[in-house]
Amino acid sequence: MRREYSWNDMRRSRASSLSVVTAVFVSALLLSLLCSLAYNLWIDQIRQIQWEEGDWEGRITGKITDETLEIVRNYVNVRTADINEELSGEESQTLDITFYQPASVLEDMPEIARLIGLGEEAVTYHYRLLAMYIIRDPADTAPRLLFPFFLLVTGIACVSLIIVIHNAFAVTMNSRIRQLGIFSSVGATPRQIRACLMQEAAMLCALPAAAGYVAGLLLSMGALTVIDFYAGNLRADSTRPELVWQYHPAVFAAAAAAIVITIVISAWLPARKLGRMEPLEAIKYNGDLLLKKRKHPGLLSKLFGIEGELAANALRAQRRALRTSSLALTLSFLAFSLMQCLFTLSGISTQMTYFERYEDIWDVMVTVEHAPLEQFDGTQALRNLDGAASCVIYQKASARRLVTEEEISRECAQMEGLSEAPEEYVQETGEGWLVHAPVVILDDESFLEYCRQIGAPAVLDGAVILNQIRDVYKKNFREPDYMPYLNGEAETTILRPDGTEGTSCEIPVTAYTSEVPALREDYGTIDYYELVHFLPSSLWESVQEAVGGAQEELYVQILADDRTSAKALEALEEEARRAVGDSYETESENRIQEKEMDDRMREGMMVIMGSFCVLFALIGVGNVFSNALGFVRQRRREMARYLSVGMTPAGIKKMFCLEAAVIGGRPLAVTAPLTAAAVWLMLRASYLEPQVFLRNAPVVPILLFILGIFASVALAYYLGGRQLLRCELAQMLEDDTMR
Amino acid sequence: MEVVKCENVRKVYGRGENEVVALAGIDLSVEKGEFVAVMGASGSGKSTLLHILGSVDRPTSGTVTVDGCDVASMNPTQAAIFRRRKVGLVYQFYNLIPTLTVRKNIWMPLILDKRQPNEELLEKVTEMLGIHDRLDFLPDQLSGGQQQRAAIARALIYRPAILLADEPTGNLDKKNSREIIDLLKISNRDLRQTVILITHDEKIALEADRIVTLEDGRIISDIRRG
Repeated sequence: MRREYSWNDMRRSRASSLSVVTAVFVSALLLSLLCSLAYNLWIDQIRQIQWEEGDWEGRITGKITDETLEIVRNYVNVRTADINEELSGEESQTLDITFYQPASVLEDMPEIARLIGLGEEAVTYHYRLLAMYIIRDPADTAPRLLFPFFLLVTGIACVSLIIVIHNAFAVTMNSRIRQLGIFSSVGATPRQIRACLMQEAAMLCALPAAAGYVAGLLLSMGALTVIDFYAGNLRADSTRPELVWQYHPAVFAAAAAAIVITIVISAWLPARKLGRMEPLEAIKYNGDLLLKKRKHPGLLSKLFGIEGELAANALRAQRRALRTSSLALTLSFLAFSLMQCLFTLSGISTQMTYFERYEDIWDVMVTVEHAPLEQFDGTQALRNLDGAASCVIYQKASARRLVTEEEISRECAQMEGLSEAPEEYVQETGEGWLVHAPVVILDDESFLEYCRQIGAPAVLDGAVILNQIRDVYKKNFREPDYMPYLNGEAETTILRPDGTEGTSCEIPVTAYTSEVPALREDYGTIDYYELVHFLPSSLWESVQEAVGGAQEELYVQILADDRTSAKALEALEEEARRAVGDSYETESENRIQEKEMDDRMREGMMVIMGSFCVLFALIGVGNVFSNALGFVRQRRREMARYLSVGMTPAGIKKMFCLEAAVIGGRPLAVTAPLTAAAVWLMLRASYLEPQVFLRNAPVVPILLFILGIFASVALAYYLGGRQLLRCELAQMLEDDTMR
Repeated sequence: MEVVKCENVRKVYGRGENEVVALAGIDLSVEKGEFVAVMGASGSGKSTLLHILGSVDRPTSGTVTVDGCDVASMNPTQAAIFRRRKVGLVYQFYNLIPTLTVRKNIWMPLILDKRQPNEELLEKVTEMLGIHDRLDFLPDQLSGGQQQRAAIARALIYRPAILLADEPTGNLDKKNSREIIDLLKISNRDLRQTVILITHDEKIALEADRIVTLEDGRIISDIRRG
């Protein structure tokens, strides 16, 4: 009988049932999508870590023999145990171990080490990978927040959705309080009432929950394809594993459980409340939207008259029901607008500090691994490349140089010289200050060209010193003021190895300059006190043993004849790699491709983060829909009152429009000043001119987001309002709840 | 002067087997300043008649004229404007807007009509109804009798052509019922307000100048008293 009653009631209150069905469908979809996405991104993260750092959970370093290897492999929880050939030597080997049950890795590893006669110090853990299984060693203090972040997002989504569906259920169930009061008055126990409501909830939710679940899975497949498309652009190396949608029964079970728990809690809360109501209280219930105390007419009343006041009062009375939507819409809009502004600012900054700055300096860059410049034999071939206007081959090395007080320029000395410099950059000694002296080693031809460019003697037996230091008190890093570092009187410079004491090498100085060679390099950006030396490769060959510190990479920087065609640059890049030869390991890039990659990466990040904002906004919009579709029962009385005293249907529509405008507009009103303040702070921190930002401000995406929110809220109100206005006034007045 | 005229008014709900005839050819004429009680058992059609007179519902056939306006031919907007200018509706359950103060509730039809509320009239009416000191309260803060007085004040404030009261004492105790009927009589006598009162209580009906009795959607008696 109860089931029959529930069916009849659901048929009668189709609109409010629809709001529950919609809320459940959207919630199931979001939860299923979120669980599936979280699982796939988690799996991808694990694969990425394994790809980057190796597939091992614990590592033992020490003397490993075939015998001890066998002992490890026979350990009950060990899945694999393999010698890492790259890290192993003759004396000491590195053994990478994975486990069937990684949860006990922290207990098993010391035990394994003990079994093969090694101490705990021989054991290391793959903390980054273990953190993905929520295994944390107290010794690991790094904040590994990715997994907790997944859990947090899913948890927040669950709680938000509980509030949304709970609200939809509350509207549906509240519309029947009087009937339930009558049930109660004829002897139905609170338990029977709860059972009736829960049964009704089950009947209403089964189908939309299943449909939402499947739709969420399909959507997650689509989302992963999109993410993989953008992530593909981020893959510098094409061997990185692709992002492929996959599933696991446990994930499906978790998603299903999250959906069922969300629905059960959502239905249980209002059902429990209703079950506890006294019969008399229930029979007298009229479901009016009430205000706790009298409110003074606000802005809406002043601007839009009585319709404005009624809309404002209705919103105040529904404040609790609309809390989720207000919060979700505000936060999603805030996150979206901040993200847009942040990406725009970072884009402007990258454009100014990288792309524009180096635009005329390079077209193709080839990094050659393990190739000392003095031994590199491809220089001539690279210089003779077809389509190359110029070519510079250079290497970098790190060294130190002692700067004495007498050497420091007058301007620099007036700015307190090096005495106030941070210790990590400048070490004070009895003779002066030991500063970092990065060495840029240019191929001889490029070095001579550079000497001619700065008006220095074109000779290969000396170094050119970049004789400038930043005004450290001027914080604006975009427009730094420079001054001479040294007085430029010393004819030689003494370079010392970076990190080792004892050896040093005196080199003649051919020039002090403030001009740098046309290289895609930055000088003095982090360590303001570094003293950069430019050396020809032939000179470096003779001093390298004493100075040391050369990096293993060699850079080939090419400027093309045809600088506008992506195809021409790709061809030149290919040619350059060929000219370097197969005997070297190389990595290459070209300017146009890099710009495109940067744009797509930025776009990809924005799509992914924007999708999360949209997802969050959907929760808010879902709440608005569940409210608006629940109107038909809840606000019939209200509308009947307005209409009976002569409010026209146009007046009712105006009222609804104002309510929708406030719901959609409030997030904007709250967010706009916060975003403006945040942008102002970001502009200050990045020393960008406001007009530069304004010219590139992300107006269109933010407007589209706003329009999306307004359109969704307007649609919800349109559907709810249309159903309401279709009701006959006489019918509404004759309704038995009309009291 | 004739303020209400109904000619052969029929109202049918549903179709086929579900057809219910609520009004089966009503002819009724009410003069300005009359106090008419419409009586009848439950389902006799008295509320349907009141809804049609108040432009809340439309007749299936026949003509209804209230203060010169053809109620049957109005669209929803015209009907709403008609309600706020020509008729005052008082219901058993008051139907005050819970989120507005009593003052705003009373002024509501005038505000909707963009007319300047008349403070003097408000004072006169609310003093007469005994709710002058309750004007800045929310309806929920008033007793049932006070809420019904506020509903009557709202119906009188714009001097409608007819005041339609649907069981206005149905939710009140004896003392308050007596007072409400007295107030309706006072407004009829002092303000020459035409009142059509729907009731099933014979005692209350006897307070009116004229008693119209309905049965199965037809007028079975129309008695003028005094």
